Amino acid sequence: MAFSCKNSSKFNGFSSCIKMVMVGTSAIMMQQRTLAMEASLCVKKSKKKGADSVTRPNSQISAAMAAVTPLLLLLLLSSAPSFSSGSRNAYNINGRVKIPQGLGLGTKGYALPGRMSNVKVLLNGGQNITFLRPDGYFSFHNIPAGTHLIEVSAIGYFFSPVRVDVSARNPGKVQAALTENRKGLSELVLEPLREEQYYEIREPFSIMSLLKSPMGLMVGFMLAVAFLMPKLVENMDPEEMRRAQEEMRSQGVPSLSSLLPGGARN
Amino acid sequence: MAIRSFFLFILFFSSSLSPVFSLYEDQVGLMDWHQQYIGKVKQAVFSSQRAGRKRVVVSTEENVIASLDLRHGEIFWRHLLGADDVIDGIDIGLGKYVITLSSGGSILRSWNLPDGQMVWESSLQGPKHSKSFLLVPTNLKFDKDNVLVVFSNGRLHAISCIDGEVLWKKDFEAESFEVQQVIQPPGSDLIYVVGFAASYQFEMYQINAKNGELLKHESASFSSGFSGEVSLVSTETVVALDSTGSILLTISFQDGKISSQQTPISNLVEDSLGPAVIIPSSVSGIFAIKTDAVTVFIRVIGEGKLEVVEKTTHEIAVSDALSISEDQQAFALIQHASSEIHLTVKLAHDWDGNLLKESVKMDRQRGLVHKVFINNYIRTDRSYGFRVLIVMEDHSLLLLQQGEIVWSREDGLASIIDVTTSELPVERNGVSVAKVEHNLFEWLKGHMLKLKGTLMLASPEDMAAIQSMRLKSSEKSKMTRDHNGFRKLLIVLTRAGKLFALHTGDGRIVWSHLLRSLHKSEACQSPIGLNLYQWQVPHHHAMDENPSVLVVSRCGPSSDTPGVLSFVDTYTGKELSSLSLDHAVVQVIPLPYTDSTEQRLHLLINADKHAHLYPKTSEALSIFKREFLNIYWYSVEDQNGIIKGHALKCKCTGEVADEFCFDTRDLWSVVFPSESEKIVATVTRKLNEVVHTQAKVVADQDVMYKYISRNLLFVATVAPKGSGEIGSVTPEESWLVAYLIDTVTGRILHRVTHHGSQGPVHAVFSENWVVYHYFNLRAHRYEMSVIEIYDQSRADNIDVWKLVLGKHNLTSPISLFSRPEVITKSQSYFFTHSLKAIAVTSTAKGITSKQLLLGTIGDQVLALDKRFLDPRRTVNPTQAEKEEGIIPLTDSLPIIPQSYVTHALRVEGLRGIITVPAKLESTTLVFAHGVDLFFTQLAPSRTYDSLTEDFSYALLLITIVALVAAIFVTWRLSERKELQEKWR
Repeated sequence: MAFSCKNSSKFNGFSSCIKMVMVGTSAIMMQQRTLAMEASLCVKKSKKKGADSVTRPNSQISAAMAAVTPLLLLLLLSSAPSFSSGSRNAYNINGRVKIPQGLGLGTKGYALPGRMSNVKVLLNGGQNITFLRPDGYFSFHNIPAGTHLIEVSAIGYFFSPVRVDVSARNPGKVQAALTENRKGLSELVLEPLREEQYYEIREPFSIMSLLKSPMGLMVGFMLAVAFLMPKLVENMDPEEMRRAQEEMRSQGVPSLSSLLPGGARN
Repeated sequence: MAIRSFFLFILFFSSSLSPVFSLYEDQVGLMDWHQQYIGKVKQAVFSSQRAGRKRVVVSTEENVIASLDLRHGEIFWRHLLGADDVIDGIDIGLGKYVITLSSGGSILRSWNLPDGQMVWESSLQGPKHSKSFLLVPTNLKFDKDNVLVVFSNGRLHAISCIDGEVLWKKDFEAESFEVQQVIQPPGSDLIYVVGFAASYQFEMYQINAKNGELLKHESASFSSGFSGEVSLVSTETVVALDSTGSILLTISFQDGKISSQQTPISNLVEDSLGPAVIIPSSVSGIFAIKTDAVTVFIRVIGEGKLEVVEKTTHEIAVSDALSISEDQQAFALIQHASSEIHLTVKLAHDWDGNLLKESVKMDRQRGLVHKVFINNYIRTDRSYGFRVLIVMEDHSLLLLQQGEIVWSREDGLASIIDVTTSELPVERNGVSVAKVEHNLFEWLKGHMLKLKGTLMLASPEDMAAIQSMRLKSSEKSKMTRDHNGFRKLLIVLTRAGKLFALHTGDGRIVWSHLLRSLHKSEACQSPIGLNLYQWQVPHHHAMDENPSVLVVSRCGPSSDTPGVLSFVDTYTGKELSSLSLDHAVVQVIPLPYTDSTEQRLHLLINADKHAHLYPKTSEALSIFKREFLNIYWYSVEDQNGIIKGHALKCKCTGEVADEFCFDTRDLWSVVFPSESEKIVATVTRKLNEVVHTQAKVVADQDVMYKYISRNLLFVATVAPKGSGEIGSVTPEESWLVAYLIDTVTGRILHRVTHHGSQGPVHAVFSENWVVYHYFNLRAHRYEMSVIEIYDQSRADNIDVWKLVLGKHNLTSPISLFSRPEVITKSQSYFFTHSLKAIAVTSTAKGITSKQLLLGTIGDQVLALDKRFLDPRRTVNPTQAEKEEGIIPLTDSLPIIPQSYVTHALRVEGLRGIITVPAKLESTTLVFAHGVDLFFTQLAPSRTYDSLTEDFSYALLLITIVALVAAIFVTWRLSERKELQEKWR
């Protein structure tokens, strides 16, 4: 299997160049995608005793909020009965993961791998793990006040972790921000920052890519030398040409045929 | 030297910022393999759906719920719940929802049976901690809605099956009430909650299932008290044992009246042997009790009368009851007999008549049957057929039907404790001859296909042909050693005490062995496997001696229980010998010395800090004596925050004259103040790591010398307050301190504090650098830091005159006792994901550049070039630095999707990443394990020393042919031209 070293280095360079080109193109494709923000976040406070219901995000409020302030950093207050903060309080964090449909369908040969059922939402590095409901909502129950980190694990998408502050002083007050770009979230709707392409895309065979490769450049240069040099020579002044030829003959530059064994005969 | 500079040139040449690991989609499965497991099954529920494929839903000890295909045992879908979210019960509701109760009964989830999508999730709270029960009554309806009955945390809930809403709830707040059973008799609207109060009172609550109203509450006291579990023998009768375990109490609560009967076990079984326990079972009318040696099946014949139906000394497993018709219940019973198991299916009310009696040959390596689950189907002749799912001692899952094993799953591999590798046998003449390509035409045709593939000219059929050809033609699954060192055996030890050998080529199990020494025995009550070590790795005798591994285990969970050693041949999987030690094993130190048979010397440290030498041969002892003064080790006591260094003192002075036992002495200790620092991570270099060169040439023709010592220890401590979860502390009261400690002298070489940071810390140590991952509370992001340590004492050697005059210290011996002049460089970067594991690639000679392998929270493995974690990165590197390959500094580390080594796969429940060097310098083998297994080959600097798999020989051949043709053509042309010129 092991090939001679010199050759392997050449092929090595050959492939590295192609890969660089491909990374460039995929990065551009990713940037072209825009992010749409639409969301709902709702934190309802429930004391440890008597907390039983699953708090559902108040979609009406959230829709209105989203319409007014889609991308601003603001705190979302959700109505909650005020309790004295004497006993150990526990809160619920509700949010939503939204994967825009159609993202990823455009690229060829790339099946959408991350189905909704395989998406996990993780709190504080795996302390709590929850899954998505069919509509993309998720909730964490009995979370103490403090600053938490929510991560979304979905094959095929890159999600930024989200910093979520659950306030003890102002029950129900929640602040959320993406940690990757420090962008505040008006509502806890998590969207992928970008799609993740795990495989290199095989570029279809094209003359250009072959020419751009180091081998192609070398061949091109050699061809240029082989075909353009005689042309240049033709355009030279005949006097000068003769002088040069004489010079060459006097130095005895061997022609190709004399180099080969058959050339020795004449 | 020429080769070395050539390699350096190659490394430089191949260093570009593009992801080094990258794969085309059609290359998946070529060099990697991925296996999915679920773990030891705790509970199984068969789907009774008539249409569609037959399924079984299981929950496992690895905390997985999964839906399996009953025909083949494949996984339809699977979810791994969080570590604290232990599954308490599963069931199927309405035939299409899988209901799971987890987290001690506080989270109830419903999953869609066909695709595993979560439908709803409810959080259930209650006044106090209690046992939890999940019941799915089939006939209990509530406004057309099926109802789930859940008892958890001292509260009874009725929950809608469709949306998870709580319909009603009832608290059982009585302080001492301990629930034992929740019963819903079919066909009634009643729920019985029975339990004990104050350990001698039997309590029964009768509750209206429609609205949670308490109908009746009765109690009766039993002066003798209760012990253990209760067994339900009918919907209105339970059987319990008294506190001595010798009297059976039959308690019935028909119509809300409690009546009881006491039967001493000695009345039933003549030779009663000690206290008994009730084996939980749900078969009506029958229950089983187990004493040390005997298992007794007892039938309840009305009015609390008991009758022994069977007594057996065999190991036995009983399934739950399965109702096959209105009033008939069947259950399965499995008994062991040497190499077979006997399966009997009986009706609950008719012990002597067997519905089914089969014998199945069973591999002894699977051990005993631990669990049985029964399911029935209707045969074509309208009679009942039965299939049983059995869980074995080695955690494997098998389906038996018609006296045969239909399928089996090796789910023990979901819980790997330790991994090591072993070489395969050397290829011997005549033993296995490599298959040569059939003929040239075939070979050329194959390569033409490949060429078409690379040029994207291949049709889909061609692509399929290429793929199958690649998989077939590759010699990766042969059972002999290969030239490149890609083929190896992965020896894994699982929690079940079974040793597996997996072939790196395709991941198949070459052999498996249930360790005898890890069997339960009189001396060893609950043996646990701890670690694997390479015991004997023959190089000189590779032809006639087999390598072997050492399995270290101990007899109980605490560290002072005696240890057990077993030695296993890695070619055959035979247990060569096993040793029951009379001392505990706290620490195992593989020494860098081998005896004449190439057995590695190991030092075992026991709880009293005595060191025991193995193997116990005089030769080993003489080798050991020679190196007696050069053996140092350290120990970490995380509870007390102490790190101690040790050395050997003399022979044991105890009464037992054992020349292989040595006393030890403490050399040094580092005590961390308990009020401000708590040890969270300690890491050292891998023992077998190879460093190619100590010198590192930096930009301006300068040389830095890496401080390479095997005795460096990285320790990370955090503030005690900050050792909890993220968000539990404020940045002001949390800090993380990183130390580099020399383990021979105890000298702290470097110390750095990260304020406002906390654990968990994941670290990896290699060559002269350590990389660690932690959480930065101020930025609320994860961070990774690198510390590189350089030797300053050799920095003067670059002076040419000193070299000429011989004044350099390059040949002077290094002693750790001389004060090292070191400098450290460090830098920190943000990193997006949480980590579960971290590792570094290792290659045979250490020339190839390194990559970090990061096991992310999403159960993927990301390869990150070490150059991204270079403390010499600056925002604007100079031209010279750029040429050296220094990347401009950015605040966060890039995540390039193409450099996920697991590509689009997940290694569910990732726990560890192991890297093993191949013989080929460019390549390293990576094995990631968790609930799933994943293996691949990595070339951190690309495969500069071999051609890639998809190298097109045809293209090369065509090029050569074309060149030769061109030469001949041009030769002819030039000859003709010359002739013409001569004629002129």
